Amino acid sequence: MVLRRRCGVRTLLRNGRILDPSQDLDEIGSVLIENDQVIQVGVVEDLTGIDEVYDCTGLWITPGLVDMHVHLREPGDEHKETIITGTQAAAAGGYTTICCMPNTNPPLDNPAIIDFILDRAASPEAGGVFVAPVGALTKDLKGEELSNLAAMKRAGIVAASDEGFPIQDSQVMSRAMVFCNQIGLPILAHSDDTSLSKGGCMNEGAVSAMLGLKGIPRTAEEIATMRNCLLSLHTGCPVHIMRVSTWGAVEIIRLIKSLGAPVTCEICPMHFIFTEDDIGEFDTKFKMQPPLRTKVDIELLQQGLQDGTIDCIASDHSPHASHEVDVPFDEAPFGASTIEATLGATLTYLTHKGILSPLDTIRKLSTVPAEILNLDGGTLKPEELPVAQITVIDPNVEWTFDRNKSFSKSKNTPFHRMKLKGKAMLTFSGSEIYRDAMFPAERYAIYI
Amino acid sequence: MSSNPTGTRNLIGIRNLDKESIVHLIDQAADFKKRVTAGDDVPKMTKTVIGLLFFENSTRTRVSFEQAAFYLGMRSSNFATTSSSMNKGETLKDTILTLRHERINGLVMRHKSSGSPILAAKHFGGPVLNAGDGQHEHPTQALADALTIMERKGSIEGLNVSIVGDVEHSRVARSNLWLLDKLGANVRLVGPRTLLPPQPSNLPGEFCDELEEGIHGADVIISLRLQRERMNEGMISSIGEYSSLYQINAETLRYANPGCLVMHPGPINRGVEIDDVTADGEYSAINQQVENGVFVRMSAFYWCFGGGAA
Repeated sequence: MVLRRRCGVRTLLRNGRILDPSQDLDEIGSVLIENDQVIQVGVVEDLTGIDEVYDCTGLWITPGLVDMHVHLREPGDEHKETIITGTQAAAAGGYTTICCMPNTNPPLDNPAIIDFILDRAASPEAGGVFVAPVGALTKDLKGEELSNLAAMKRAGIVAASDEGFPIQDSQVMSRAMVFCNQIGLPILAHSDDTSLSKGGCMNEGAVSAMLGLKGIPRTAEEIATMRNCLLSLHTGCPVHIMRVSTWGAVEIIRLIKSLGAPVTCEICPMHFIFTEDDIGEFDTKFKMQPPLRTKVDIELLQQGLQDGTIDCIASDHSPHASHEVDVPFDEAPFGASTIEATLGATLTYLTHKGILSPLDTIRKLSTVPAEILNLDGGTLKPEELPVAQITVIDPNVEWTFDRNKSFSKSKNTPFHRMKLKGKAMLTFSGSEIYRDAMFPAERYAIYI
Repeated sequence: MSSNPTGTRNLIGIRNLDKESIVHLIDQAADFKKRVTAGDDVPKMTKTVIGLLFFENSTRTRVSFEQAAFYLGMRSSNFATTSSSMNKGETLKDTILTLRHERINGLVMRHKSSGSPILAAKHFGGPVLNAGDGQHEHPTQALADALTIMERKGSIEGLNVSIVGDVEHSRVARSNLWLLDKLGANVRLVGPRTLLPPQPSNLPGEFCDELEEGIHGADVIISLRLQRERMNEGMISSIGEYSSLYQINAETLRYANPGCLVMHPGPINRGVEIDDVTADGEYSAINQQVENGVFVRMSAFYWCFGGGAA
């Protein structure tokens, strides 16, 4: 349910557990929104003129979630997803800001196409979440000449990335870092040595040996992670390593952080939940890039989340059409539709298992990604938000993810039929942009 | 492998097949062989039309399935990939759906992608027989090899079997490995480390990178075909060096047990993985493997369409 509401109302989110990592806030209280902005957080005494009240008893009131890694597929692959369906899915997943990746067709490598993305995202049919585009590092994502990054920054990109087509030439990557550092643009690095991963379709290991599938060795990710980290260390450019999947990559990032490099990294839920064994009998829903690894990796990735080596959690929402995935395993594309399940999966597999505290969960899903990319959001501090960006979460609601009820065009997801505990109930970007069908009607009152 | 309400089954691989079914398939093949060679009757399945869908080149396997269909009175239709709609961009799923609605009763499929027969079975509904998928499985070849070993050695239980060569890329090796292990053989996989699975913990058997040790005391050696492109991929230094290290010949056979059976799924690179004398020698079972291929495929058809027990 995506609702578009008028502005100017005085809205009270009452009696929830306010979790705001930006100010280490974890307390029961209320949040007042007026003219689309947060006015007060905590104790709200002036209740005059309230237009609407959401009873948030037992729920979390958090900064709107921020997803650094989303594929919206538009332009070029609108049969997989569009900016409209992707942003609607994001709102339903509890997100108020998402970063869309540049490997579209054509790629996001010039200011005109950035304008197009921002226009589409602001259209009334879109989900109402902020879309922060990520520009292609090199023209046409060929890994050769740098894109017009400064012009794209003026147009609105928040980072640059070679997502989907990792730059293999270290000289090109080094120069990209030097230039991006100069113009103040962080780099999101897809770390893959394609000379090692070429032709592979799953983790190289015991399961690939059994199924007779060509494997992708962990060294493909680790060598490229090390290179990108070393280049960050020596150029000073902030580099964010996307979707780590091996314990070795975590160790490399831990080392490079200790040396003072401005490196951050993310993990995607598939890599802290599933292993290569989940591929079963060639199930393409579990074909990921990087591939699903092993139980040992999951254990050490979770440690990396706990000790802060892994900074944040991103969905890597990579939608594909059904006909594209209903093919032999080695022919299927990598990735799956994940944005609506990421919060529930994180709460189920990390928070409820005691691996992350509630405050750390929100920190990794909202505050840190906003900080890494210097985005508005990730906080409930009124002065830091041009408009209120808030997610109300029921951490204990039990539900089953059903791809057929998803807003995403893609129904290809490993979370289909998965039982999850925890879900976004309300998403506010200024005003309400999403209210879940499971949010009880009696908890909402209008006084107009 | 899996059965459905119509009483038919798919034969996708050996890994998920129970020992009872494997033994039944081999016994049934032996029975068919006896009857066919004696000129006796075999059950006829004259109303069955089988589609032979070969997306990769094959002569011996395709002809073997055709012959098996012929002996059972089935009609077979060949779908060569060069002349099929796959060349016009049709997906595998749509090709399979088309054949299903053209009332083809069963499919024999060879495809370059591991796992593709599972996709075919999902959309086809009726029996699908895997004639080799990528680097995954080639179940009827393993059954033919097992029948051959049983004919020559009496039993598989307790035998030392060494599979030599490019194990990593071999569907024959995987199917043989599962089958021989389930029937109680001691299996060793022998080859250069670049051609052995990097992490074999999900596979039964022992792994060995030295020929002398790998075939020491072997009762059966199954030599695998070496594909020449592996040299370009840097997996072996040269064909000559590979031969000097891993060729099965009179010299190297001294490490095996006396009377060791020598097998090869074909086609052979004579002088590379096996020398001429050995390939044509008295302990070679290569031609017998080919002959038995027809009878195990008869058995596979019969079993897949619900004939026989197990």
